[in-house]
Amino acid sequence: MDERELIRRSQQGDGEAFGVLIERFKGKVFSLAYGFTQDRTAADDLAQEVFIKAYFSLPRFKARSEFGTWLYRIAVNHAKDFLRKNRSRQKDISIDEIGENRLAAGEKSQEDLRSVEERRATVLAAVERLPEKYRVVLTLRDIEGMSYEDIARILDLSPGTVDSRLHRARQKLRQRLTTSLNRQGGDDGL
Amino acid sequence: MDCKKAERFLLRSYDTALEPEEKKRLQGHLEGCPSCRRKDREYREILGHLRPDFIPEPLPYFRERLLARIREKDKAAPALFGLKWAHRAVLFFLAVQILFGVGLLLTPREKTRELSRAERLFLQNENPLTETASLLNQQRAEDKNMMLIFASLDDRNGGRR
Ligand SMILES: [Zn+2]
Repeated sequence: MDERELIRRSQQGDGEAFGVLIERFKGKVFSLAYGFTQDRTAADDLAQEVFIKAYFSLPRFKARSEFGTWLYRIAVNHAKDFLRKNRSRQKDISIDEIGENRLAAGEKSQEDLRSVEERRATVLAAVERLPEKYRVVLTLRDIEGMSYEDIARILDLSPGTVDSRLHRARQKLRQRLTTSLNRQGGDDGL
Repeated sequence: MDCKKAERFLLRSYDTALEPEEKKRLQGHLEGCPSCRRKDREYREILGHLRPDFIPEPLPYFRERLLARIREKDKAAPALFGLKWAHRAVLFFLAVQILFGVGLLLTPREKTRELSRAERLFLQNENPLTETASLLNQQRAEDKNMMLIFASLDDRNGGRR
């Protein structure tokens, strides 16, 4: 069914139609939530909250913007709230779980993987400590892989601002990481 | 090309292909600048760590759980359709209230009418004879005369009692 028709029906309280929209967008919304939380349960909960908010805000949705963009905007706003509430939360990164998957693929030794995962954890922890505006743009671009144009639409910024903010975010991240990653050593000699 | 410009090109090159001329200039700078070569390595490692190897699926029954939560909230809140009209109704009600208020302010008010002496006495529940009686009851003739003079002055000035 056409997306506009699904939205129109959902606006009138048709749960079936909204169910189809959930199926279409849940992957992207969940992935976005996971990019911010790095935690499956937290991302699931965040994604659910995003859809609930969207459902009850549907009467105010105007077809001027794309439904996806509107939905991701809600998701980013919810993610920001989540980040503010969980600023000091420590992540549990399952090194062993990911390591086993990669070992099965015959890529690297267990020790190499442990080191890679430690470095990855260090990078993600540094992202957590970035100021919010840099963290958001970096997550959308470098974790989610969104285009500058999509990020600009979601954050309601010009592509030029996205470009300069991303540039600044990466610089800050590298500066903060140089010391800690150098201390850990590694193949790339960082 | 200086290091600052090289870094800008470097960062852009991770997102999009540079123009052949820009690429050539950046390559030239990197060959002669160990500091920027190092930055390039560091950025590549950081970006490599950021891009997730895998993204897990949402927890099972995502849609079912979500629709159940929505139904539950829907029961507590008015139906969506009702909600759509409810906020319009509220706006309409407010507009009517404001118009009514403005109307009241603009309507010229009737001047407060002076009460007649009879109405005043009636509303204040007073007997006009009591005063006369009190005048006549005065024992001394000069007191009686003084009070009669004051009473007549009061009446001539149209003053209220
Ligand atoms: Zn340089």
